[in-house]
Amino acid sequence: MTVNDQPANNVNGSTELNEDEIRRIKTKTGKPVIGYICCFAPPEIISAAGAIPYRITGKPGKDTSSADAYSEPYGCTYVRNILARAVEGKYDFLDGLVISHSCDMVQRLYGIWTYYHPLPYSYLFNVPHQLTPWAQRFYKRELGFFRESLEKFTGQDVPDQKLSNEIISYNKNRDIIRRLLKQRKEKPPRLEGSEIFELLLAGGTLPVDSFNRLLSEKEVQFASRRPVNGNKPRIMIWGSIIDDPALFKIIEEAGGAVVADDTCIGFRVWEKDIPVTADPYDGLTEHYFVNFQCPRTDRGPGIKRFDYLLERAREYDVDGIVGYCISFCDPHKFDYPDLRDYLKKEGLPMLLIDDNYSFEPEEAIKTRLQAFLEMF
Amino acid sequence: MPFAGIDIGSLTAEAVIVDQGEIIQYTICSTGSNSRKAADKVMKLALQRAGLVLADIEYLVATGYGRVNIEFADKRITEITCHGRGAYFWNPEVRTVIDIGGQDSKVIRLNDKGRVVDFAMNDKCAAGTGRFLEVMAHALEVELAGLSELSDKAINAVSISSMCTVFAESEVVSLIARGLPREDIARGLHQSIAERTAGLVKRVGLEERVMMTGGVACNSAVVRALNEKLNTLIIIPSEPQIAGALGAALLAEEEFTS
Repeated sequence: MTVNDQPANNVNGSTELNEDEIRRIKTKTGKPVIGYICCFAPPEIISAAGAIPYRITGKPGKDTSSADAYSEPYGCTYVRNILARAVEGKYDFLDGLVISHSCDMVQRLYGIWTYYHPLPYSYLFNVPHQLTPWAQRFYKRELGFFRESLEKFTGQDVPDQKLSNEIISYNKNRDIIRRLLKQRKEKPPRLEGSEIFELLLAGGTLPVDSFNRLLSEKEVQFASRRPVNGNKPRIMIWGSIIDDPALFKIIEEAGGAVVADDTCIGFRVWEKDIPVTADPYDGLTEHYFVNFQCPRTDRGPGIKRFDYLLERAREYDVDGIVGYCISFCDPHKFDYPDLRDYLKKEGLPMLLIDDNYSFEPEEAIKTRLQAFLEMF
Repeated sequence: MPFAGIDIGSLTAEAVIVDQGEIIQYTICSTGSNSRKAADKVMKLALQRAGLVLADIEYLVATGYGRVNIEFADKRITEITCHGRGAYFWNPEVRTVIDIGGQDSKVIRLNDKGRVVDFAMNDKCAAGTGRFLEVMAHALEVELAGLSELSDKAINAVSISSMCTVFAESEVVSLIARGLPREDIARGLHQSIAERTAGLVKRVGLEERVMMTGGVACNSAVVRALNEKLNTLIIIPSEPQIAGALGAALLAEEEFTS
């Protein structure tokens, strides 16, 4: 069932607006909504099983005290934020929850959430930390288990052809996104990084066809924009989960242009098509596991991940990298010292913003970013 | 043609007027609770002393955490860039600037042209800054200016393990209660600042020569402890507090002439 009667421009990176939209679509279609965190459990499978995938996002800076009773003090502020919103009923439209074991904290979030508030459907998606052939087989098998559990919940079979069609639909969106990303190569870019990022955020929270209409509308709007003059330092963002455009906007207000990113809601998910393979699970494994550059997966010595970042920094002619780390985000914190040295050798300066998923105190963050931009 | 720089810090405000790359006047005031008023006051004083009025200033750059509130500024530049520029003016051989001000500390690396190439700042707390010293001076019942002298009389240094200003104050209070000499505690406090600052220096890497700016550079005990810790001889300018405003004034002149 498609939802074609609603203009797509009422959705953007705003969490509230997208939540309203998903409630509306749910009522209209009668489909269950399944929330997910991290990309390892592919939304394509959820959609093929007749449910609506919804990427759960937090709200940086919100009071998280309602999560205190459930979470240990060492829990990261991102997970606390999501948990607080769950306690407050902000995700009450969810019929299901799937969390992949991307890091220990999100796995704990799954445990706490489903223990205190069992949902009609919940699934913990296991993801190996290595990329060995056996690990890849493990991941692929996990995709199969996930499909089976969804089939049981929605009562709809997911034959391979149906899944392949779903992948093709999602890839159509990737096609438009690639065209938009390309525009960021302009100097200076006509599109703000935050505008594109808001779109990508919307992509996680909308059904594939609604997202397609939104992208098509935006592409037409963007095409009529006039070129702008002046030079701005070209910045790339790397780091922990960024599910709010705040950091993009702070950089833009300080006079920079965010032209690329290496983050899990940005480039990593959207810039490349999911390979359409005879066995669709092979393509999904390649896209979401083998090539997905999250530091929670060990890539061994040589660190291919950094090459990935550098390749994009060069492609988009980046002047400097802004790193964003949420306190206690070990996978990213472990990478940072090596990444910084690696980039230094390549002549790319890097600034790290340590944050509690709040972008506060704003003035201190602004000063660091402004000083960094003054270097160029 | 005169140019001006104004630096509104958390504790003090400074204004510097330059002409053809030379300082012609400067003033230092306390910021108080209203950064806008402090800016007016410090600028007015500097202008008065120089026999000028605001309209004579061709271009004015504001810096410091209160820079956004200064309406009469032509441009706003961060204190990182300004301190770097000020330090380079005093000594073009400087490659590393350590600035410890009222509520933050930073280490700035410069290239041979005085441009910032890297920097690191303290976390979002006042540990190891001027405010830290103020609180500790209060706990030790000594004037801020006398803290360094007190520590010079120490026989041993007491180790202060808390970095947080609030916890360190409790620690100092308990050390006093245990009857430890105030002098030894004062030295311990200065060493703890030096250790924390040295950690920040290591993040960007030390390159000779090193200059210290900001109010805490006036505390000779901190400077000595840092010299030992970093195994270097830090250059202290005659007025370390005005480095930011000076850099702002010089950048104002450069901006205008370019």
